[in-house]
Amino acid sequence: MSAGKIYHIADYLLLAQLKSIVTAELLKEIKNESNPFTLNGGACLAMAGKDCVAIACDLRLGQQALTLSNNFPKVFNYGDVWLGLTGLATDVQTMHSLFRYKVNLYRLREEREIEPETMANLVSSTLYERRFGPYFVSPVVAGINQRTGKPFICGFDSIGCIDFAKDFIVSGTASDQLFGVAEGLWEPDLEPEELFETVSQTLLNSLDRDALAGWGAHVYIITKDKVTKRLLKSRQD
Amino acid sequence: MCCVAPDVVVVASRVAGLGLGSGSFGIRNQARVHETTTSPTSLSTLLASTEHQEPHLGIPIKMNQFPHGWGRPRDDVYGAYDSSYLNSSEPTSHTQRPIVTGTSVLGLKFNGGVIIAADNIASYGSLARYDNVERLLQVGTHTIVGAGGDISDMQHLHLLLDNLLIKEQYPADDHSLYAPQVHTYISRVLYQRRNKFDPLWNSILTAGADPKTSEPFLSYVDLRGTTYSAPALATGYGAHLAVPILRKHVPDEESAASLSLEEAQGLIEECMKVLWYRDARSGVSYSWAVVTKDGVTTGNKKIEKQSWKFAEMIKGYGAQNI
Amino acid sequence: MASSYMLPGAQQAPSFHSHPSTASQPRQHHWSPYTENGGVILGIAGKDYVILAGDTRSSEGYSINTRTARKIFDVGSGLVLGVVGMSADGEELARRVARKIDDYKRSHDKHITVNAAAVMLSRILYAKRFFPYYVQPLLGGLDENGVGAIYTYDYVGSFERESSRAFGAAASLITPFLDNQINLKNQFEPGSNGEVPRKPGDMPRETVEKIVKDAFTSAVERHIEVGDGLQLVTVMRAPPRAEGAEPEEEEDEREKTAGGGVISEVMSELKKD
Repeated sequence: MSAGKIYHIADYLLLAQLKSIVTAELLKEIKNESNPFTLNGGACLAMAGKDCVAIACDLRLGQQALTLSNNFPKVFNYGDVWLGLTGLATDVQTMHSLFRYKVNLYRLREEREIEPETMANLVSSTLYERRFGPYFVSPVVAGINQRTGKPFICGFDSIGCIDFAKDFIVSGTASDQLFGVAEGLWEPDLEPEELFETVSQTLLNSLDRDALAGWGAHVYIITKDKVTKRLLKSRQD
Repeated sequence: MCCVAPDVVVVASRVAGLGLGSGSFGIRNQARVHETTTSPTSLSTLLASTEHQEPHLGIPIKMNQFPHGWGRPRDDVYGAYDSSYLNSSEPTSHTQRPIVTGTSVLGLKFNGGVIIAADNIASYGSLARYDNVERLLQVGTHTIVGAGGDISDMQHLHLLLDNLLIKEQYPADDHSLYAPQVHTYISRVLYQRRNKFDPLWNSILTAGADPKTSEPFLSYVDLRGTTYSAPALATGYGAHLAVPILRKHVPDEESAASLSLEEAQGLIEECMKVLWYRDARSGVSYSWAVVTKDGVTTGNKKIEKQSWKFAEMIKGYGAQNI
Repeated sequence: MASSYMLPGAQQAPSFHSHPSTASQPRQHHWSPYTENGGVILGIAGKDYVILAGDTRSSEGYSINTRTARKIFDVGSGLVLGVVGMSADGEELARRVARKIDDYKRSHDKHITVNAAAVMLSRILYAKRFFPYYVQPLLGGLDENGVGAIYTYDYVGSFERESSRAFGAAASLITPFLDNQINLKNQFEPGSNGEVPRKPGDMPRETVEKIVKDAFTSAVERHIEVGDGLQLVTVMRAPPRAEGAEPEEEEDEREKTAGGGVISEVMSELKKD
């Protein structure tokens, strides 16, 4: 069998004999080896609070089970907007430089910073341009509208469908875990420090149950006129 | 056997226990002995004929008559029998596919009983092969079993149920089988058959009422032995088309307990009509049965007050001019 | 989400999808003896209690078969078994376990202990190593010291005693939540500057029951196979009989059927959409 998951040959024969759902599991494994969304691993989470938002990510970069780096942040800043990118690492970097370029041009043309809502549409249309050969990323946008002061978060699929949420957005290989914990811990109108605790606990406990993400985390707490960035140590295994 | 000459022993041992003595059976087998031995002193001399004829028809026997290979092509006519297919490394798989099939069965509990319905069509693929098939079977006094899926498997199950009833009915002891027992029996049969990789290809509803408490009973079981109960159930397309309608009126046991027989009949009629409109394997006439504590009432009905007005809206599937 | 960019029937990009996609031969009718009926269960062991909980939805694909299917079974001798996966296999397994526990009681004239039952269940599962029960089982009960025990299994019988575990469709959602709220992972004593981890283990039953309900309401929000109702089963020590009091008939009966603990069940509602 090819590199990656090792099965005993007897088990392969057995599983094949059963002609069962186990065979479907096998197919899933084989497919997983070439799934660009889970190749490098990583997780990202954004939450909205009372006049504040938070966005956080893990720091792992891997190739399947092998960890290559523990300093690969997935949250990027463009003026007043933060963008989290999980998925294929090369696309994460490509998208980051593409959006830096696009936001810079926006700033020059408009002579003002881009607002999070605008950024959301920019991300969406950029992704949809590659409808039939997409970037393998699941982006998350977070920020506070500087004109209205309203917190804004949203997420996307890899071809630009926007998911506007008033509570939280998750993405990456730990998304199942993040959904579960965030749904349990999040509540409306959290103050910045409460939001930090909620985001951090959600992320940390989710990362600990995902082998492809973890190895430290970055957490940004954003209010209208202050941004706090914290580095979480987390488990190093 | 013991008197057979040594050079035929090998051959004779292959027909051991055969009783070469009498009857046409024995004689035909000896033909085999003759062909595989050369000994002039053996039994073969008694059977000079080399080409045996079917006594009545006068055609050559091409079927192997030995008990260990009976029914197969004769080795000497067709060459050694290729039995490789019997030694497959795969597990034996009897798994067929449904051939002649029935579509949905509907079941609904109401206050004091349960109603069940199934149409009378048996399809062969998309052909409506039989149009007068009864898919509801009364088992004992207070139980109806309705089956969808393969019709021959259903009939086999009917046979089992008939035998079960004969075996388990002890009127003198006031012992008889009611719906829960019948349902459990069917589910055990279906689960065991799936464990043998030889499923009975059916989805079955068992409906009944307790003769003492009039508590209604309604349960589902399918070809994998999966079982469940609910106040409204349906098999096949009914699960997609009828259950949502039924559940709207009867979301839980409480609402089923406050549903009248007339309301239940109306709902079933409505759902059978929806199925007649949208399920291409359904039929216009159907059987229904109501079970209460007083026993079973059955009947046959045709879909009434049809309106195909909605069909005018459907365009783009046929050869019509749009 | 990952594959939402594919059009139905579109050719998959060869570099990322190397598994066979051609269907040149006539399609053969393939039958699988297995199916999945969704749902999720969890078990939590406390100092003197065990909680097993499961939702009551049973589904197949996108169809809801019933909203009232129990997944936690009283298997006798004060033990409970939770099963999730294929319901037909699960119910068969529960029947067999209950039968074996009854056999044990009749032939040894005593209740089986939870650890003995745990080994027995492992053997039952391994006996079907080559045609496994498609079930993830959780066995719960009170051990010889009256301490709560949860035994968790894989399909073919490898097992372990744990303090909490979620199994089933939404296990990946509930597990990290339980890590955090029951086992207090990533939590530290206030004022210890993240040096002293909070110690789990002495949580009152009422608190745990609240967390269990939270876990399920969360899972219902984000998983389509979870919902309809919550079955919450608790095993507790029987309250000590008052001094000199004669055992009531009902109580006497209970002692005969239950080993270490008394089993109680509470049903509540979950969202049905």
